[in-house]
Amino acid sequence: MSRIHQFFKWMHGNKRYYAIAIVLLISLQYFRTLTPLFIQHVIDAVLKGEESSFPQVLQNLVAADTVGKQLMLVGIAYVLFQLMRVIIMFGRRIINAFFTERIAYNMRNTLYKKLQDLSFTYHSHAETGDLIQRCTTDVETYRVFVGEQLIEIMRLVFLIGFSVYQMSRMNVTMTLVSLVITPIIFSAALVYFIFVKKVFKRVEETEGTMTTTLQESVTGIRVVKAFAKEKVEIEKFDRHSQAYMKENIHLLKLMAFFWSGTDFIIFIQYCLTASVGIFLAYDGQLNSGEYIAFLSYVGMIVWPMRQLGRIVGDFGKTIVALDRIDEIVLKENEHDNDTMNEPTIKGNVKFEHVGFQFEDDTKPLLKDISFEVEQGESIAVIGRTGSGKSTLINLMVRLLENQEGSIKFDGIDIKEINKKHLRKNIGIIMQEPFLYSRSLYDNIGIIKKDAKQDEIYKAASIASLHDDIQQFEEGYKTLVGERGVTLSGGQKQRVAIARMLIDNKPILIFDDSLSAVDSETDIQIRRALNDYWKNTTVFIITHRITTAMEADKIIVLDEGKIAEMGTHQSLLAKQGIYAQLWDIQSNVEYDFKNVKKGVSANELL
Amino acid sequence: MSYFEEEEYKETKFDFDVWKKIFGHMAPFKKHIYIGMLAAVVLAGVDIIYPLINRYAIDEIIETGAIENYPTFLGFYIVFITIQAVMVFTFIWNAGQVQQKLSYSLRKKAFKRLHELPFSYYDRTPVGWIMARMTSDSRNLADILSWSLIDLSWGLLMMIGIAVVMFIINFKLALISLSVLPLLIIASVYFRRKILKAYRKIRKENSKITGAFNEGITGAKTTKTLVLEEENFNDFDRMTSRMKKHSIRAAMFAGLYFPTILLISSIAIALVIYYGGSEVAIGVISAATLYLFTNYIMQFFEPVMQLANILARFQQAQASAERLLSLIEQEPEIYDTKEVIEKYGDAIDFKKENWEPLHGKVEFKDVTFKYNKGEKVLDKFNLEVEAGESIALVGQTGAGKSTIVNLICRFYEPTEGKILIDGKDYKERSIGWLHDNLGYVLQSPHLFSGTIRENIRYGKPDATDEEVEEAAKMVEAHDFIVTFDDGYDTQVGESGARLSVGQKQLISFARALIADPRILILDEATSSVDTNTERSIQHAIDVVLKGRTSFVIAHRLSTITSSNRILVLEHGQVIESGTHQDLIDQRGKYYDLYTNQFKTESIELSKSK
Repeated sequence: MSRIHQFFKWMHGNKRYYAIAIVLLISLQYFRTLTPLFIQHVIDAVLKGEESSFPQVLQNLVAADTVGKQLMLVGIAYVLFQLMRVIIMFGRRIINAFFTERIAYNMRNTLYKKLQDLSFTYHSHAETGDLIQRCTTDVETYRVFVGEQLIEIMRLVFLIGFSVYQMSRMNVTMTLVSLVITPIIFSAALVYFIFVKKVFKRVEETEGTMTTTLQESVTGIRVVKAFAKEKVEIEKFDRHSQAYMKENIHLLKLMAFFWSGTDFIIFIQYCLTASVGIFLAYDGQLNSGEYIAFLSYVGMIVWPMRQLGRIVGDFGKTIVALDRIDEIVLKENEHDNDTMNEPTIKGNVKFEHVGFQFEDDTKPLLKDISFEVEQGESIAVIGRTGSGKSTLINLMVRLLENQEGSIKFDGIDIKEINKKHLRKNIGIIMQEPFLYSRSLYDNIGIIKKDAKQDEIYKAASIASLHDDIQQFEEGYKTLVGERGVTLSGGQKQRVAIARMLIDNKPILIFDDSLSAVDSETDIQIRRALNDYWKNTTVFIITHRITTAMEADKIIVLDEGKIAEMGTHQSLLAKQGIYAQLWDIQSNVEYDFKNVKKGVSANELL
Repeated sequence: MSYFEEEEYKETKFDFDVWKKIFGHMAPFKKHIYIGMLAAVVLAGVDIIYPLINRYAIDEIIETGAIENYPTFLGFYIVFITIQAVMVFTFIWNAGQVQQKLSYSLRKKAFKRLHELPFSYYDRTPVGWIMARMTSDSRNLADILSWSLIDLSWGLLMMIGIAVVMFIINFKLALISLSVLPLLIIASVYFRRKILKAYRKIRKENSKITGAFNEGITGAKTTKTLVLEEENFNDFDRMTSRMKKHSIRAAMFAGLYFPTILLISSIAIALVIYYGGSEVAIGVISAATLYLFTNYIMQFFEPVMQLANILARFQQAQASAERLLSLIEQEPEIYDTKEVIEKYGDAIDFKKENWEPLHGKVEFKDVTFKYNKGEKVLDKFNLEVEAGESIALVGQTGAGKSTIVNLICRFYEPTEGKILIDGKDYKERSIGWLHDNLGYVLQSPHLFSGTIRENIRYGKPDATDEEVEEAAKMVEAHDFIVTFDDGYDTQVGESGARLSVGQKQLISFARALIADPRILILDEATSSVDTNTERSIQHAIDVVLKGRTSFVIAHRLSTITSSNRILVLEHGQVIESGTHQDLIDQRGKYYDLYTNQFKTESIELSKSK
């Protein structure tokens, strides 16, 4: 039952069109089985005065007194009849395409929407390639199934059925003889296509490996060259390329045997029907015209039988595809059941005993985090990789939800604030920012579609990006992202900064976001940002002490807990982790002190 | 994973040169092509003969009652069925062989060429473009050239054969039957063109949709934090709506095509029914001949439709071929001369026995360099580095640090001037010789999928497990590696996706160390490593650099203070040079940079707050 629901839920709103298409399809198959009867009528009835198998309506239409007139009428009737078939055929195809594309459109949009609304946790575990395949290949599999295969199955079944009907009207013995071998053809095709799926899968796997090798080798070409490993790469690729070829040739062999073998069986059926036909005709039970018609009808049964086996053998693919699509569609949407509350956010942030742990983890990532930041203050969070810095940020924008304690913005609990509203008020600049496949101009203005050119330029200037952009041949129109030019890590970070500056956010979070910018530029940007910081609450996440030290408040995170908190001076005085880190990083300065008597450390600070 | 944008290609004229080259690439598989074509021709013959056998059955057995002719009928039938089965097998087998072997050989040639091309090629060619050439183009080309070529011979022979047999049997009826042929051809060409165009639009839209999905997934976090869900969805909806529109349009043309052909052919059949029927009535031809003609007419359209399809496919093949050939025939700009290859071997076959040991002295002699058509990055640049010296390159982006390093690696060659290694122009030695002695750690580390162990071993394929661990320990990667469940056998994922940037960095470090290079280059190698790790690496570097010539590019000046010589670069010129201490003494640019980095960023900011 649920399978049926799974199959049909995507057809929602299109069932009417589907029904029309099927009715047209069935009538078409009936008409098709009438075509051999034209020749039968001509040969048997018109020319020899024997019995016609034409439906009575048609017989009446082409009735005339002379043979010549009759022939002309049959000819005209034939063309008109085909014209009618052609019109229905065309209509059927258009309706078919119409609902098929609507279904595919609906599926794609549903998936895209869903993907965007899936939780951050889902995305951090998901594999891009696999998801894309579900959204493209699997959708295509279902589209083909609904739009072509299902229709094709019905077409074939009705074609076979009407053919058998027309045959039985002429001669029952011949009909039975013509059906003797067909079950073999159907089962042979069915078994073969079920079996060959495994081979197909192997072919796909070897192809995947080959493509991965290729992609890695091309993207890592610098490494390959620097290590003089061209030979290794070429041999590796050749191995995978050959494996792919071998699997293909294996498949080829199976295909060659299948098609030639089934061709043989099919023609044996032809031969059998023809032979019995000859003897029946000799016996006077069959006319020449009927004999010819039977040869046509055999063709309308045996070839469809093979095709039918093939499609049914392919069935499993669609079920697998739908399951894979459902895995996405049935996942929980992070905005379901979210509050609609949209309070004004000024910039006061308060953490009270906040803790977080992934369900499948044994250790909490954050525990008992408490601190408060006033509007306009800056706070630095420092700690090594894995200390919980990123988790802290993710909690602040509800990418993750804290299980313990509470986070409050201007006194309102974070869970009482609409997620999207919250995120609109907090600007995060990530270490490895993601740029969209658009122009630089559009990327900078992405959160404010109506931004004026001045605003874009100003934001780019503050982020020390304007000059870089001018260097590009196409300036601000340069396409970046997936399909555009590749920017350096530093340039990307600066674009990410610029796009945040377009809008006045009460809270800004810099997540190690200047790590790839050279130090002079870094300083430039920081200076320019100063104006900006006045009323903005700023979070600086970093593992560099020099970046953290100027903040109003510094939090040292260690293994998910606040190890120390205070100002630069107070933390140094504590002689704890912060002071230790400071020692390590200022080892430069130590060197300096040792080698250079003339300059004291104080002069540097 | 082939979601690379298909390039737009216009309807191209037949290009003789391209086809000549393609057939050149097909030459090794000639035998299969000929056998396949022969099988196709025989098959066409068999297809023409079946209706004749049936006519024989009607004329010579049924109509005359001569049942003694039945064994002849049966004999023929069985013989032809057998021939048919054998030929179908031969046809598929040989066409498939050509397809597989041709695409394999094209991939092989292109891949080899890719590894001979210099970096400048990769600077201007997106990876996606290359992937598309290597995957879809090579596949399309092989597909079309094998099956279509053999199908073409089947189709042509079938049409010619049917026409000939019809004319032999009854000239007038043959003429009548074929009278609709011009109409058939015009309709076919018209529809094929329309359909092809429509499908091209669909493909283009499809790759955009795939790209959008990709963006939606990889950019999910950003989209969430920027709250762009709605805008992105609206953009996406525009794409899928266009896709729907184009698809329905394409279906319209495709849906008109077959019915039109059917209608045209039914006109021919109606004519045959009328004229042929009249002839049967007056006894000129038999009823079986009438059947034969109607049957032949129907058999005739199949190849017509196929030929129109094949012609369109050939056009597509030409476009694929042009692009693929442009890759295979791309001349490498950096290559070894014949003499060098003869002595030292090429990139694939090293002649290590002839290699001189590399000591590591590097000299730039009046080196001028510019990228493609750009400005000069270096102008008459001179530099002498002794074997074993460690050099640090400091300066702003665009000062020429990376260029110098790239030139040393011979990823690029000087536009003018020379670079000497151990006193000899490096062009007189092979690229393989240089690279084999070179270690290179990049800012964005690239790992290959496989285990950590395999990645480290990349630097020295015959390294023992102990050596691998040794190298990992030296860069302090060992500690985090053993925390993984599978330790050194942990899979790093595609391009190292399962490791953090810092971890990848450390592994790429170990990889460079294990190769025991004479010249080591560190390009911003420590920028993504956290403070503790950076310090350990720094320590490891100091140990490892001993006795090797090294070039270090670093933004964080703290990592280079122990270098033998620091070069401060500005606009391709060395403006200051000396040890850390010397340069601090000079109180010049380096002093500014150094103090700035440590002090200004914090002091200035806290002042202004």
